[in-house]
This record gives sequence, C-alpha cells and structure tokens, in this order.
Amino acid sequence: MKKLHIVGILVIAAAIGLLMSLSGEVATYSNFEDASQKSGVVKLAGLLLKDKPMVYDPAVDPNYFSFYIQDAKGVSKKVVLLMSKPQEFENSETVVLTGSMKGEEFVATDVLLKCPSKYKDEEIALRNTIES
Amino acid sequence: MSEIQYVGEHLWPGLLGQAFNILSFVTCLFAAWAFYQGFKNRDNEKGQSWEKLGVGSFWIHGLSIFSLVGIMFFIMIQQYYEYQYVQAHVSEDLPMKYIFSAFWEGQEGSFLLWMFWHIVLGIILIFKAGKWRAPVLFSLCLIQLFIGSMILGVYLPFGEDIRIGSSPMMLLRDIMAAPIFAQANYVELIKGTGLNPLLQNYWMTIHPPTLFLGFASTSIPFCFAMAGLMTKEHKAWLKPVLPWALFSGAILGTGILMGGAWAYEALSFGGYWAWDPVENMSLVPWLILIAGLHCNAIANSTGYSTKSTYLFYILTFCLIVYSTFLTRSGVLGETSVHAFTEMGLEYQLIAFIFFFLIWGIWLLAANWKSIPAPKKEESLASKEFWMFIGALVLLFSSVLITGSTSLPVFNKIRQLFDPLYEGLVIADPVPHYNKYQLWIGVFIGLLTGFSQYLRWREINFKNVKRKFTIQILGIAAVSAVVTFLLTYWIEARAWQYILLMFAGMFALVANLDYLIRVMRMKLPSLGPAFSHVGFGFLILGVLASGLNKRFISSNPLMQRDSIEDFNDEDYGKNILLFKGMPMFMNGYEVTYEKDTIEGFTRKFKINYKKLDEKTGDVKEEFTLSPNVLYTKNFDKIAASNPATHHYLKEDIFTHISNLPRADTDREYAQAQEDSLDYKKYEVLAGTQFETPEYNVLVGEVNRNPIHHDYESEPGDLALALPLIFESKKTGEKKEMEPLIVLRKDFLLTFPDEINDFNVKAKLPQQIIERYYSKENELDYSTFDVLKENSINYNGYKITFKTIESNPTDLNYKSEEGDLAIAAILELEDKAGTISEAKPIFFIRGNNSYSIKDFDEKFKLHTRFERVDPKTNSIKISVAQSITDESALPIEIAENVLRTDYIVLQAILFPGINLFWLGSIMIMIGMLISMFHRRRMA
Repeated sequence: MKKLHIVGILVIAAAIGLLMSLSGEVATYSNFEDASQKSGVVKLAGLLLKDKPMVYDPAVDPNYFSFYIQDAKGVSKKVVLLMSKPQEFENSETVVLTGSMKGEEFVATDVLLKCPSKYKDEEIALRNTIES
Repeated sequence: MSEIQYVGEHLWPGLLGQAFNILSFVTCLFAAWAFYQGFKNRDNEKGQSWEKLGVGSFWIHGLSIFSLVGIMFFIMIQQYYEYQYVQAHVSEDLPMKYIFSAFWEGQEGSFLLWMFWHIVLGIILIFKAGKWRAPVLFSLCLIQLFIGSMILGVYLPFGEDIRIGSSPMMLLRDIMAAPIFAQANYVELIKGTGLNPLLQNYWMTIHPPTLFLGFASTSIPFCFAMAGLMTKEHKAWLKPVLPWALFSGAILGTGILMGGAWAYEALSFGGYWAWDPVENMSLVPWLILIAGLHCNAIANSTGYSTKSTYLFYILTFCLIVYSTFLTRSGVLGETSVHAFTEMGLEYQLIAFIFFFLIWGIWLLAANWKSIPAPKKEESLASKEFWMFIGALVLLFSSVLITGSTSLPVFNKIRQLFDPLYEGLVIADPVPHYNKYQLWIGVFIGLLTGFSQYLRWREINFKNVKRKFTIQILGIAAVSAVVTFLLTYWIEARAWQYILLMFAGMFALVANLDYLIRVMRMKLPSLGPAFSHVGFGFLILGVLASGLNKRFISSNPLMQRDSIEDFNDEDYGKNILLFKGMPMFMNGYEVTYEKDTIEGFTRKFKINYKKLDEKTGDVKEEFTLSPNVLYTKNFDKIAASNPATHHYLKEDIFTHISNLPRADTDREYAQAQEDSLDYKKYEVLAGTQFETPEYNVLVGEVNRNPIHHDYESEPGDLALALPLIFESKKTGEKKEMEPLIVLRKDFLLTFPDEINDFNVKAKLPQQIIERYYSKENELDYSTFDVLKENSINYNGYKITFKTIESNPTDLNYKSEEGDLAIAAILELEDKAGTISEAKPIFFIRGNNSYSIKDFDEKFKLHTRFERVDPKTNSIKISVAQSITDESALPIEIAENVLRTDYIVLQAILFPGINLFWLGSIMIMIGMLISMFHRRRMA
C-alpha cells in the first residue's frame, strides 16, 4: 500500500469522524421547555406576539430589548434581547433566537427575523404603487 | 372573458428579445453539436469544417446574447414597466449609475451576466486554444445550454404549465393576475419597485461582475479536463490549462473578497466573513480549485497527481453549480441573508449539477486505468508528496464546510420521505466553523512553509537533510520569537490561537526567506512564494481583527439589574448618544454633532477624539459620517450604512443601530405628539410665569421668525413667541421659539422643544386669532380716495399720502416682470396717534394681486385694490379685527421624551489591513504565475 493511500484513508476517516461529531452541534429548533433543561446555548424559534408589550428604551439601556414570543408548543414567554432593536422588527412574524433561559426569561444574544415572503411584499408594493 | 386591447404597451422589444433568446439557445445547441463532430473528426478534413461551423454558430450565439442584453438595458432605461423584470428592478428615481446593478439584481440578469462572461472567455478560446478548441468549446457550449435554459421561458408542448426557465422578457400581466390588468391603460398606472436600497452602492456595481467572471472562469479548467478525458491526451492538456486555472483562482478569489469587503465597508454586519452559507459555498469551489492548481503543478513537474488534477477541476465546476443551486433554489430559506427568492428552477438546477457531475465522474472513471502515473511511489521527502498532502487538507476543509452548509439540503431530502421531520440547524455557526478551520489553517501554514525547501522528485534526501533541517529550524525559531512578540499586540486567549499565529508566521517567514534569499525574487517561484507570504499575512490579519475585535461603544457605568450572570461580551455593543453631549467610551470621547438630510439619506456627523490615558489630552481627532437611508415615504429605514476610519494599524467602524422611533415611524410620531400632556397658560409679553419645573420668561412677539422646519411664502402671516426656560432645580437657562403661521386659510403650527429640559411648547390657534383675524371673517369697507385726501373709518382718519413704486416689504418678494406699487397711507386715531400703512398692489403676468398691510397698533387691515387712471384715485379696503387686550395663550408640555439621540455601534478592528494585504497578495501571486505559465505553455 502506498503512503498516500494511507494518508487518504486517514483524511477520509477524520472527515467522517468530524462530520459525525457534528451531531453535538446541531439541533432542531428548541422550545422554552427544552431550553430551560439545557444549560448551553440553543436556537429557539417562535411566533412574535404583537399584542404583548415590546420594550426598547435606549435612554435606559440601548442594549436591552424585550418582547414576547410563543414557541412551537404554544408556550408564551418573555424574551430579552441584548441588542438594539432590529429594524423592521414589528413587521416580522417568526423570530429565531440564539440564547438560553435565565429563570423565566429567555435571554438572547442574536436574532434572525423571518419576514413575510418577498413575493407578498412585491404584491403589496405593486398595489401601493398602483394606488398612489 | 374577452381579450383586452391594452394601450401604451411596447411589445416589440419583448418579441425581439425573446427571438434572440431562442436563437441563442438553438445556435448554442448547434455549436455544441458541430464542435463535437469537429472533435470526432479531428484527424480528417471534415473535422475542420465542422469546427468552422461550430465557431460560426458560437459567434451567432454570442451576438444573440449580447443583443438580448442590449434590449434588456433598452427597456430598463426606457422604464417599460409592462415588463416584469423592469418593474421589479427599476424605478423612476433610480439613478442611471445603478442601471447595471439593477440589471444583475435579479436571477435572469445574473444568469445572463454569467453567460456573457462564458461568451467572452469562449471567444478568447476560439483564438487561443489551438488544437483544444473543438473539445473545450464543446463542453463550454453544453454548460452554456444549461444556463441558457434557465432564462428560456418556453412552455413544453405536453402537460400543462411545465415551463423551462424564466425569461427576462416576460410581461407583468403574464406573471401575475391582478385586477389592474382589467384596465386597458394599466401601463400608465404602474410604477417600478426599484433597486433594493441596500444594494444601491458601488459594491453592487463591481462585486457581481467580478464574481460571475470568477464563476465563468472555473468552467474553463473543467472544459479542459473533459477535453483531456475525451481525447485521452492525459498529459498534453495539463500545460495549457494551468494559466486558465490561475486566472480563475485570482478572479474568483477577488470576487469572494469583494463580497467580504462589501459586507465590511457598506453593510452593518460588523465583519468581512460570517460563515454564511452563500459565502461558504463560494469559498469551497475556490479551495478545491487551489487544490487542483497545486496538483496541476505537481503533474506538470513530475507526472504524479494527474488523476487528482482531473478530479479537482471537475469538482470545482460542479461545486460552483451546487452553490448556484443553494442560492437560487430557495432551499437555504432562513439560514442565509443572501438567498434569492425561489423561481421554480430547482429541478433545472438539480439537473444542471447532476449532468456535469455524472458526466465528469463517469468519463474519469472510464479513463482511470489509462491515465499515466510514474510507477515509483513519491518519496516522503519530496515536494510533490507534501504539496499533495496540502491539496488533501484543502479537500478536507471543503468537505467539512460543505457538509455543515448542506444541512438544509439534507433536511429537505429527509422531509421528502418523512414530512414530519423537523430539520436540524447548527446552533452556533461561527464558532462551529472556526473550530475546525483553525486546524486547516495550521496545517496549510506549516505545509506552505517547509515544502518550499523540498525538491521535486527527491531521491537523495540524505545529502540535503542537514541543510534542510537547519533552514527549517532557523525559520521556526524566528517565527516563534516574532509570534511571541506579537502576542503583546494580538491578545490570543487560547493556545490553539497561538499555534495558528505561529503557523501563519512560519508560512510568512519561510516564504519571504525563500523568495528573497533562496530564489532572489526570480520566476518561476515569485508567484507562488508571493501568494504564500500573502497567506501568512491573511492568517495574522484574521487573528488580529477577529480575536481583538472590540466594541468601543459600551458604557461601563450602565447598570444592568435584570441580567447579572451574562459575560461582558454579550452586551454593551451599543451606546446611546444625545446630540451635542460628548460621551466617554474606552479611550474615546465621542460626540454626535449633527444630522443633515439630503434626499432620502440622513447623514450623521460623529466626532471621535482619542484621549491620552494619563493626561486626558486629545491625541487624535476625526469625524465619521454614517448614514441611514429612508424609504420613499420617510416612514421607515431601508438601510443603515456604516462609516469607517482607517488607520494603518486598525479600523474604527461605526454604524447607527437605532434611532428614536419617532424618527422612523410617522404614525408613531403622530401618536406620540397626540399623547403629550399640553397645559395651557395665559401670559403677557415681557413677563415671567411658572410651570411645575421651570420659570418661563416671555419675550416680545416676533413677526419675522426663523424656524428650522418653516419656509416662508409670500402672504404668510407668521407669529412666534420667544420663551426662555429656567430650570428650577439647576438654574440653567435655555431658549426656544414656537411658531404659528396663517397661510391663506390654513393654520400651520411649528412647536419648538428643548430636548435637555424635556419640554415642548406650541402656540394655539387662538393666539393668531387674537393677533390677526382670518381674512374671510373680516368685514372690509371699500373707499375711493384721491391723493392727499382722507376718509373716515371707525373713527380713524386715513390719508392717502402718495404712491411708491417698486416697494419692498416682508410679505412681498418681487419677481422679474412684476409691476408693483404701494400706497402710503397715514392712519390717525381720535387721540391723534399716527401710524403708517403700506398695502401693495402688483401685476404679475396677466393677474393682479394685492398684499394687505396690518397695523398692529390700531388692528387695522388695509388693502390696495386698484388704481383708477382716469380720476387718479385709488380704491382701498379697510377692516378692523376685533381683539381683546388680554394675555396670549401658549401651551407647554413637560416630561417629553427626547428625540435627539442615536444608538451607535462602534467596533475597533485591529490589524484588519493585514487581512486585506494578505488576500490581495494571494491574488497577485496567482496573476504573476498566470503570466509566467502562459509564456511557458
């Protein structure tokens, strides 16, 4: 057997090994119940509750934004986002948060907003341009 | 439903464009066939004629695509909104300089850009490829066919609604059903959506064409590889392909880098690389291409690694197609910021990948045995052995990145079988990728360093072993010392980072030494060594800017009660700045000085003063101007554009992360204004009164006021009341001047505020009623009066003194051609007090106007109605407003929320210039090699 074959096999083995170990770093979107049991950082997806209070007062703290979401199991809880309030936040429907539970609150350090699909937007835009 | 005869549509460009579209597809198909015949008959004369036919139809194909592109630009410049592509990407207010950006913003345009570059490269190959012309262009035509099918937009004759591709010549009314299309003149009614404001900058003009040239250029090594396999000339193709592969490496690399620079310079991502799926999947083909390049060099020098060269070049192209699939099929969904919207091209894209992957792998497998390789195994101490190991490491890196990035694809596949499957995501992508790629960096750094000192086909390592060991140990020692010194600047928090720093430094020192001392700056090693030095710099730059990236916009004094056990890094990324109030943060004194609005852009001026830690003196000072771009109605922010101050050593990056909601949301601002608790006060001019928190001194009424929101118009009656507020707590005094304007019959109020005091004041309607009566409520009496004669009105004696020509007055702005006169009237009351009035009469064009005079003392309104030239008398109207002499009403609200602040993010990126320097050196090194190899080929 050639040396390079041995190296090749090693490389492939290492690649498979590492990709397998990926399972430790991936997860399905979490919910509040899961998150409170886990100690580490999770990704939590939920529906933004627009009728509950959203608090962002930069005069008090520009890195504190709180709002309420409902997770996949229907549980609603308060979320504290340690960032400034993202643009267009009110327009998003689902939010994906990165963070962990601290007591009864979910404390997030990152957020991804899912807005209604672009096509819908385009339709609305079209309608607006027509009406205006 | 009967057919509607639409008016105002321009159908001919669409028909012509679609004709070119189809012509280009057909001629491409024919060119592929002709080149294939040319390749088959390459040994006889028939082959040459076929090849000529192929070249001819490739030219027609190219010209058709160019024409289609031309027509698209035409309809975009003409703003024919009946075309969907125009409607979606152009708008009336889109500056001409962004017309290119608008062209490749959408899927169809970017496919066309890709095809455009293939044609340019194809034409170069027609002239330069020599005997490789037919087989290489055959593959290129096949690729071009697949891309062309994406924009074909034809319906298959069987089945319903199976459409191949999406044509850029599609009409809006063919794509969506909307009630508007029931109107025959709908074209007049629609407007363009325009280019996404986020994309309105010069990066969007240069990044896509460079990246797509990079994409297109990866096709050429692929086509050469396929040509090598088809002709079974496994050695001969290796030399001509190398310059092309180097070109591709340099351009694709530059394209990717520009994306990073864009993200860093113009978007508020706060970095140049985020391990976003789209970034990853453009990096992976580049890595594989680099692996291929190295194998190609090995094969050229030693004859080893020919098979790997084939494999890597085939994979590079297939991965480019795969990355296209990921971005354009919508499969990435929520995991990427880059993804295009889906267009129903998934199946075509999947066919595209699999066709070339299966064809390439199958041809390679079929030829596997016949591909030559030296009988003897590589020596363990040879350059080729370790270079190949390097290529394997790059492959390994690519496999890891692709595996993680493809998670959404695996999820989709599992969901096909198990619809309830939830799908997995990487919890924290950035550390995930960094963790593994760190080791790749270490290996590559070390390999690029020491393999330079090894020789090709080493058979007698013993003779050079001593020299080699001394050199490598020397370099390692120097690198270790410099790394150690560097840790004083780059704070590395873990031994892995120090190891990576050492590896980068080793690559840098070894290659610099090799370049200068060993090779004395000579070709052929100049290019590679240059690139490898660049790699060393890149690693150091990544470490410096990544590990020591520091948020300077944090306020250490901020109390945070609710969340105590979070570490410092997670918060304190943003800071609140009030206008004109300096804020001290991490060695800088930062002041939000002012903001200005130009068009839809609001520019902020932020002043930075770097202070000496001990003395507090200002060491350096600079001003940054980040801005935000509003949407057309000024009711939302479309984009926040950062500004960066560049030092050689570090960058200071600044962007506006939030604004008061009242500035971004008009409805909210109105609601906010409505909810203020205004209290009414009756005051006398020149006196003082009290509110709960302030003593307020009232000034004299100002009839010629200036207010930042007020633009005066002729005929306005304006009234402002200066107020001086004195805080009862601090004794501090501040002024303001609320304003009210009567314009014809409308009242305009301009409240004023003192942000520091949280007070706002406005003048109510009554104040103006007390001051001036509304014109239509006045009861005018009209008189004819001769010069030097008097009339009596309400006990006032009014004397017409004289006529003044070309009068000047606050309320009258003369224009050229005006014929204006004023009547000078003397007013006298019973007590004998005298005042003067000066009503104006003027003719502008064919109309006559009068501007009244209002005498404050007597509350008399006088109008100059006309002149009677026969009798030399004038007609005047006089009225008196009924006012009481009581106090003036004003309204004051306290505890008003401040709106003169911004939320700012400021990040310090040390050593980021090392990253740019390193990357640019890599690309330049490849270009140097390209020119060198081109001469050799």
